[in-house]
Amino acid sequence: MPVNEAGEGPSTTAASETDKHAGLGHANAITRLQQEAMAFRRRTLRNITTDFTVAAKQLQPGELVKDEFFTLFEAVGALEIMDPKMDSGYIPPGDTLDPDFDPSVGLEAGEVIWIMDQLLCLEITWLEGHPLSQTVYTSLHINRLLSPDQRHSDSFHINPGPPPLRTNQDTLVHTVLRAYCIGMIKSSQLALHLIQSQTYFEEEDFVTHLFGRELLPKIDSSAAADSLLEAICWLETCGIAGGLCPALLQRCKFCLDLLRTLAGDAQRWQDMLLDLDQIKDSHHLGSPIPDAFSEKVQRQLATSTPPRPTIQISLDAAHSKWTKLCQEMLSAYELTDSDAIDNSHCLERAVWAFAYRTQPETLARAQMQDLLFSNHAVRGQMPHYDLMLTDLKSLVLAGDPLSNPEIFQIELPTDPRHACSALLREFMEKAIEEFMALYRMVYQNRCRIRRLFTQSIGIWDELQREADAIDDGLRQYPLSSQVLNSGYARTNGPLLSWARYHTSQVLVWTVQLGFETEIYLPDELSKMYWYLSALCTYRNLVIESMLRALLERKRRVRGGSRDAADCVASQQLLMSLLDASKVTESLAAALWKFYYLLGQTGIIKSPKREFAKPDLLHEARMKSYLNVPAGFVTIDLPPADGYESAVEALEQHQTGSHSMKTTTFQAIDEDLKAAKSSLAALKKYTPEQGGYVGTEAEWKKEIKQIETTCVAVAVGLSTLKRLGEKYGDGQRLGLQGLVECALERKYHVWWVIPQLKEKAAK
Amino acid sequence: MSGDSEAGAGKDAGAALRYVCYGKEKESPHLPAIRRLISKDLSEPYSIYVYRYFLYQWGELCFMALDPSDNVIGVIVCKLEPHRGGPLRGYIAMLATRQEHRGKGIASKLVRMAVEKMREQDADEIALETEVDNIPSLRIYENLGFLRTKRLHRYYLNGNPAYRLVLYLKPGIPYKPTYPPEMMPEDGGGGGGDPLHESAGLMSEDLMARQAAQMRIENVEGERHDGMRGPP
Ligand SMILES: CC(C)(COP(=O)(O)OP(=O)(O)OC[C@H]1O[C@@H](n2cnc3c(N)ncnc32)[C@H](O)[C@@H]1OP(=O)(O)O)[C@@H](O)C(=O)NCCC(=O)NCCS
Repeated sequence: MPVNEAGEGPSTTAASETDKHAGLGHANAITRLQQEAMAFRRRTLRNITTDFTVAAKQLQPGELVKDEFFTLFEAVGALEIMDPKMDSGYIPPGDTLDPDFDPSVGLEAGEVIWIMDQLLCLEITWLEGHPLSQTVYTSLHINRLLSPDQRHSDSFHINPGPPPLRTNQDTLVHTVLRAYCIGMIKSSQLALHLIQSQTYFEEEDFVTHLFGRELLPKIDSSAAADSLLEAICWLETCGIAGGLCPALLQRCKFCLDLLRTLAGDAQRWQDMLLDLDQIKDSHHLGSPIPDAFSEKVQRQLATSTPPRPTIQISLDAAHSKWTKLCQEMLSAYELTDSDAIDNSHCLERAVWAFAYRTQPETLARAQMQDLLFSNHAVRGQMPHYDLMLTDLKSLVLAGDPLSNPEIFQIELPTDPRHACSALLREFMEKAIEEFMALYRMVYQNRCRIRRLFTQSIGIWDELQREADAIDDGLRQYPLSSQVLNSGYARTNGPLLSWARYHTSQVLVWTVQLGFETEIYLPDELSKMYWYLSALCTYRNLVIESMLRALLERKRRVRGGSRDAADCVASQQLLMSLLDASKVTESLAAALWKFYYLLGQTGIIKSPKREFAKPDLLHEARMKSYLNVPAGFVTIDLPPADGYESAVEALEQHQTGSHSMKTTTFQAIDEDLKAAKSSLAALKKYTPEQGGYVGTEAEWKKEIKQIETTCVAVAVGLSTLKRLGEKYGDGQRLGLQGLVECALERKYHVWWVIPQLKEKAAK
Repeated sequence: MSGDSEAGAGKDAGAALRYVCYGKEKESPHLPAIRRLISKDLSEPYSIYVYRYFLYQWGELCFMALDPSDNVIGVIVCKLEPHRGGPLRGYIAMLATRQEHRGKGIASKLVRMAVEKMREQDADEIALETEVDNIPSLRIYENLGFLRTKRLHRYYLNGNPAYRLVLYLKPGIPYKPTYPPEMMPEDGGGGGGDPLHESAGLMSEDLMARQAAQMRIENVEGERHDGMRGPP
């Protein structure tokens, strides 16, 4: 058993102490690793089988021989040599190492079509997040091109020199299929590059591992395109009959379109949609040649991954996946293709509209990020700093001299505008990353969006502090004393208000995404909707104070001026944001009370929770919110533990003859009424006023969904009333075991609504 | 057999079962059976090192349900370590009951025993992951008081998402500081860069692929740092 002296893999690492003596063990291990590294450079081959066997005999079975660097991570990475399920290099008795297929052999046109379609399937499964080893690499043609043995060639032939093209079959393989394979490989490389240049999560979103292979670094995308053009030329005159020629041409054209688009030379997603339909229609012309693909390729890859099956999908499935991808790519361009992206609110809506198509593919999410973030400018035209400035202006600085970009040009140090612009710039430098993250995070997968926003709560909290300090600084320079000092109360400066506004939004999103990702159990819904509602109450206060400050400034600007127009626009925007927040506040208020009733009546039951204590459950659930200092200057964040007092208040409301449930029913009715009237108000804003230019359809759709949700809640409530009257004794409402409550049906992913049904009598 | 055996059985599980602790024994005769039992529900087996990793260091946190002929009917495997320099976190790595014996409370009993033991050893919290559609597993943990704290996208080899479930045993955990993996004080504070690549060195790519290969045992909870790749 020859192995190199340095040893191989975790299974043979040298003995050491247990974890307890971390310090010494760690130092020893470092020294040993250094020695190993030196030895590695001087390595020679020696058969150590005997030594190894002798040494191994001195150990008890099960004794763990490991050093300080051997963690769970390595334990999981270790494999048992010669175990067919773990060792990808294992060859079962009677099997051959290499697949029995020669990629340099000529093929019929139908066979080439079939291989191309198979590659189309594998490419999209890779783009969906499966490793290359189980997708594209299983093609023996691709494998030949990427094989380390072919380093000096880009042909299917092992022998040097151009392959003989004696027959059409030869040309079909060596010119047409080869060009298609190269095109696919280069497209893969470009896709990989695009994804890696943006934020994504390895393995969750995408597997970038190349298994030690390179994606034809010596061929650039234009050379690959030339090969495809050459193939297309040949196909156009080859005279192969039976509809096969057009089918091959469509496929080459698709491949070329994809390549050029990803290379940035053209924008052909629309054309590709047509290509795809044609490919689907002519798929039947292919004649299967399954031998051209083999999982045995995995044996040669640089990996300790166990052997795994190819991810096989049908062409129909591939067609719809590719179609989805093309549409998402198109939508990424469309949503960012208007002047509206200069408006931070319109852009925010565009970003969410894109993300809330059914989870877009990683490549499309990377594309969208690229459009927003390349060169620190949106679509290369709206610098991020300018975007943030428009955001500040529309929310807190309309009518304020600070919002005039010209103040950044003033260089005279004695001019107070110079000092103020320096302060504003200082703040923007501190906040820009987190501000832009508001856009970037939405392009992560759904589970991550919530977690990323949750982590940003603390950062926003910190930014509030910074903002408050800089607001203080601004007050030192009476740039326009009336404007700055009268618009905002002492502890309510513009930057702090702005930071608070975004903090409140982030907080609201984290709870809403919790509903979407279903991390709250039914008996937690009441509390979490209460918290959502309370966060919106806080948000309303923030927006209202911004509105008050705005009205002050508005009174002082000259009528008919640019400033006056800005103030009007800001006012409409703030009012629409307030109405939107009120919708959420009221609907959440209705739902927390409704779920409270469902708990009280025994319709929703809590798990036994043997080991849990209420205060610890609270800490586990509210962990992300507990470290945010409540009541940070003037406007109080709702205390994360306010639910109990809310319940108490609700129960105290019952007066005189009214039983608790009647007053609660009334309260819910009122919440629903309030939600509906805010919705009605929301509908009145034009896209320009409400900041939803470019996403008008999504805006309408969302309002419709919330309206439907309100109706569904009202229906649920009346069912509960009816059942209460039927079974209740007027005082208490015990419906345990009598009513079924389903929570699956949602009209909007953020709203969990109870559907009640009387259980059939046994 | 050694190990602190514990007499008595869950009332539902039938008096015939014995619940025993794996204990300090390095390579118990039960190990092959434990492996077989766990592997049954995995698309790919764990290597023997994974079992040894847990059993060698935390054998006292592994419990088995044995029938009268000493066949392993159910098993739970755990560890207990400080989590990123913060709370002492128990982690339930594996849990399984033999197909024919499911639904009789065996797994619940094993989890209870493990939780008790971890509590005895001063654990602050206990965490685990389970597939979002593994109803029996969710039932067991949620009945014992675990909460879902996160949903994890494409956590398993089969592409399925998971929930992270957490049970707090002591108050004040949200206020305990933890460190992102690359800033752990004992690592000498080597800042920046990608934690996985940094700690795993040369072989990281392979190991990462391999880790994904497994029904992942533990997600390094580096959060923003965890697996997130960003523009350079
Ligand atoms: C999960 C597993 C360990 C459960 O073992 P078990 O001994 O049957 O578990 P228990 O009998 O203690 O409890 C099962 C619970 O799930 C419930 N349950 C079982 N099957 C169910 C089903 N199909 N639908 C709804 N509930 C179900 C039971 O009613 C019970 O809940 P209860 O206590 O409220 O009645 C077992 O199914 C298993 O080995 N699965 C494969 C491995 C696995 O998934 N491990 C967990 C990964 S972390």
